[in-house]
Amino acid sequence: MTTIINAPAVTAPQELDRAPRPRRRTTPKFTLGRAMAWVALGAVMLITLIPFYWMLRTSFSTSTSLGSDPGSLLPVDFTFGAYERVLGLATPAEALAEGGSGASINFWVYLRNSLIVATVTTIGQVLFCSMAAYAFARLQWRGRDLVFSAFIAALMVPPIFTTIPNFVTIRELGLLNTYAGIILPTLLMTPFAIFFLRQFFLGISREVEEAAIIDGAGTLRRFFQVILPLGSAPIVTLAILTYITSWNEYFWPQLVGREEEVRVLTVALGVFRSQTPQGGPDWAGLMAATLIAALPILVMFIFLGRRVINSIGYSGVK
Amino acid sequence: MKKTTRALALLAAMPLLALTACSGGGGGDADAAAAGSITYWLWDSNQQPAYQQCATDFEAANPGASIKIEQYGYDDYFQTLTTSLVGGNAPDVITNHPSFFPQLASTGQLLALDDVVESEGINFDDYQAGIPELWVGEDGDRYGMPKDWDTVATIYNAAYLTEGGLTPESLVNLDWNPEDGGTWEDTIAHLSIDKNGVRGDEAGYDPQNVEVYGLGLKSKSGIGAFGQTQWSMYALSAGWEYSDKNPFGTEFNYADDEYIDTIAWWRSLIEKGYMPSYQAASSGVGIKDAFGAGSYALVTDGSWNARSYYGFEGIDAGIAPLPTGPTGERVGVLNGLADSVLASSENPELSKKWVGYMSTEACQNVVADAAVVFPALNSSSERAREAFTAAGIDVSVYFDAVAAGSVELAPIANHWVDVLAIMEPAVESVLIFEAEPESLKEAATDVNKLFAND
Amino acid sequence: MTAPAIDRRPARSSARTPTKKNLFGLKRREAIAAWLFVAPALVGFIAFYLWPAISGLYYSFTDFDLLTAPEFIGVANYTRLLSDPLFWNALGTTSWYVLINIGLQTVLALGIAVLMQRLTQSMVVRGVVMLPYLIANVIAALVWFYMFDFQFGIINEIIAGIGLDRVAFFGESEWAIPTVAFINVWRHMGYTALLIFAGLQAIPKDVYEAGAIDGGSELRMFRSITLPLLRPVLAMVLVVTVTGSFQIFDTIAVTTQGGPVNATRVINYYIFDMAFNRFDFGYGSAMALALFVLLAVFTFVQLRLTRANKSDLG
Repeated sequence: MTTIINAPAVTAPQELDRAPRPRRRTTPKFTLGRAMAWVALGAVMLITLIPFYWMLRTSFSTSTSLGSDPGSLLPVDFTFGAYERVLGLATPAEALAEGGSGASINFWVYLRNSLIVATVTTIGQVLFCSMAAYAFARLQWRGRDLVFSAFIAALMVPPIFTTIPNFVTIRELGLLNTYAGIILPTLLMTPFAIFFLRQFFLGISREVEEAAIIDGAGTLRRFFQVILPLGSAPIVTLAILTYITSWNEYFWPQLVGREEEVRVLTVALGVFRSQTPQGGPDWAGLMAATLIAALPILVMFIFLGRRVINSIGYSGVK
Repeated sequence: MKKTTRALALLAAMPLLALTACSGGGGGDADAAAAGSITYWLWDSNQQPAYQQCATDFEAANPGASIKIEQYGYDDYFQTLTTSLVGGNAPDVITNHPSFFPQLASTGQLLALDDVVESEGINFDDYQAGIPELWVGEDGDRYGMPKDWDTVATIYNAAYLTEGGLTPESLVNLDWNPEDGGTWEDTIAHLSIDKNGVRGDEAGYDPQNVEVYGLGLKSKSGIGAFGQTQWSMYALSAGWEYSDKNPFGTEFNYADDEYIDTIAWWRSLIEKGYMPSYQAASSGVGIKDAFGAGSYALVTDGSWNARSYYGFEGIDAGIAPLPTGPTGERVGVLNGLADSVLASSENPELSKKWVGYMSTEACQNVVADAAVVFPALNSSSERAREAFTAAGIDVSVYFDAVAAGSVELAPIANHWVDVLAIMEPAVESVLIFEAEPESLKEAATDVNKLFAND
Repeated sequence: MTAPAIDRRPARSSARTPTKKNLFGLKRREAIAAWLFVAPALVGFIAFYLWPAISGLYYSFTDFDLLTAPEFIGVANYTRLLSDPLFWNALGTTSWYVLINIGLQTVLALGIAVLMQRLTQSMVVRGVVMLPYLIANVIAALVWFYMFDFQFGIINEIIAGIGLDRVAFFGESEWAIPTVAFINVWRHMGYTALLIFAGLQAIPKDVYEAGAIDGGSELRMFRSITLPLLRPVLAMVLVVTVTGSFQIFDTIAVTTQGGPVNATRVINYYIFDMAFNRFDFGYGSAMALALFVLLAVFTFVQLRLTRANKSDLG
């Protein structure tokens, strides 16, 4: 782990994206090599996108008809039926007739739960980890290196190892099937978040903070008025990554939050998957459900696209 | 086994914890009106509309009561139940299976329901013989209110019979044995057709490229330990028994030659190209859809599924008896489901009332009219038979089998979850040719170890 | 916003020319503030990392069923582990999975990153490539579960269409793990490519220009410039992805659930099953600890081998 601790100081890749890049002297010539490279990149994009299209195509098909034309590129026997039964707008009898089970996805409740869990986790984790990272990067105190090493050591622990005792803890606290139970283990800190932010905070110019000290600013004010604004790029990056991770988390919430009232979308999907009708999976319904579950994060991506993409690159260079 | 006992003890104490965790729960107010909200689980989606109707009727008769029905596929059902018990979000009432209930009952997961029998004024003489007794635990208490019964038969694709020059009558007197499969295997072979149109009993049959399999294959669903719709009719008709005694057997007979020979013969159908590979059968499409797509000529399946084989467009299905075995008898498993109340329920009064309602005439008749299963109450069962007939489905084969006594009860035993955990992978690996049938003897030893320390 | 200016000086107390007394007071105040700043994270660390690590270690020496108090049984869980074929099978399947997953993913991601670097800076391309990362494992698993289906899946339709035998991707022991690995490669390759891409962007352009003047071919420049300069980033990516790869659970939980037979019973799924379905939390903890130790050794060796701490850029 020493490598990570001694990781080189940070460059900000945002700069690389924003700064005018030296243009190539000539527009690239058409060569066979470039054409083949474009074909390869096109193939990658196609493989990436096909499953999304297939979700869409299948979700508008009639489940019982899918077998008659599995290779059809268009929906088989077009219908909104899958969405109706998944969203609980169809009666169990109607659902059954179309190859579904009586199960539906209580979409708005699960969406609310996913939003609450991901938002609270993100805000808490980013705030508390920023604070800790600040103390590790900018403040002098006895025990700092010891505590930091302990935190970093936690990076090495495979999550399954802490999952069992954490489940016991949450259970003994009576927090099974509560938001708190789902959120708590990642609310206050993750080793990665602290390590990540500390790297960036180490790089913030000392002069600005010293100027604030001369102005008589206390630690708290320096943190909020100097460090947070200057560190906003990595903080936003961390927030986006945390949000995506938290939104997609399945293992922990399916252990402690299966109850309807706190069930998040991923868990709901797992439950829906096990609600297989007698005949075999209701593929159209399942694909409609997956698409519905994926939709919120895809919408977020549309609005925050550039920001998210930069974040990924940003997180890598450290 | 010690581990298991421990797990059982844990299960036993779980309701207590659930109660303390859910402060302010309904509590056990004896004279409270049957009001509140409970959750009911079942696994057969085909039965859900009928029980939904029962729930609606029940809610109308009991203002303030609300029943929420959730369905989980059978292959996930009991695991989901365990996870829910550990995770503190178990339902109030569940559809229960005879093989699974002893473990739940002996660990205190289920409420005794003898008072329901009394309060509903039930006389079990009015129910399908042999079914109500299934649900009495080792302690003598009743843990399930019987709701239906079922058994197994052959279901055929009529067009394939005609093409092969056979009639439904020619399926009536088939015999089976583990050596050459008897006339049963001859028929299956004859009904198998490869891509070139060659039949399975003709020279040049290509077992690698099969168009129609003579016999269908259902994956999972207790394929190792129970084999209810898969191999039980062969093994039982060869004189094999699941365990030393039933219910509550303590020594299982998976090491017996009758069992191993049966599995070996059954698997040989895959090699011969008369039955699909297990890999294909366990993919996304179930046995019924494959039948509906015309991939199978015959299948063996339970009465609860009979109706769905009739629902396919362009497929003319029919029901025939099972073959007789080396003992000269035909034997199908007689089984039935019941409803149980979980001890962790916060509203035991309402739960019990709902369970009672489902096992008595009003709901039994609603289920009968839906024509999907045979209700446990005799009068409703007759009514279901008529409803099936009205729907163009002659189910008399199932009724005749029971009337003729050619049935045996499903295995009822403790540790069933662990038995399954051992036998399922063991038989699966035989079916995908990664292990030989002889290897099942090892699994049998492991199964019997489960009961050694009881 | 502007990127922060860079200052490599180590953190130090920042009051200017303080008097001794002043310094002491400041230091004290700063230390108190620091502890307050660290407090929430520290609570989280103690409650959800340190304490579980200690109790997990303890559980691994007990027979623990979640409800009755854990009962100390010495190393029984570990001796059981040594002779449990399913544990070793789980380690084997997990390693096989990680090998395919990481191998394929790293090669593809590197390829995509280089293609993007040489061809286009387009945000659309980058957006498309990382799209799968946004959706949950559960979703990716279900879509591919359908597409790989024996009868209904488009992939088998294509296979049958060109006259080959259909493949039971999830039903065939030898196919199950590669199929699961492929699904996760699909979800993560774009994300990994963007990480590598960022690393590529950091390589100064003039290095390539110099290479081009020397008449190096694309392939040679890739081997002699890109790869060596990318090594620290690649090493970091590998550490992160390998660690993540060992966590494989979601995909298996919603598709094969460990089957066929035990072909996809990976370690996380086996531990989960042992603890949460069979109430054997003690044995589950022992296996988790064993995994921890193995991973630690593995990471150590990996770091040594890839010399992650040495960038050829200097």
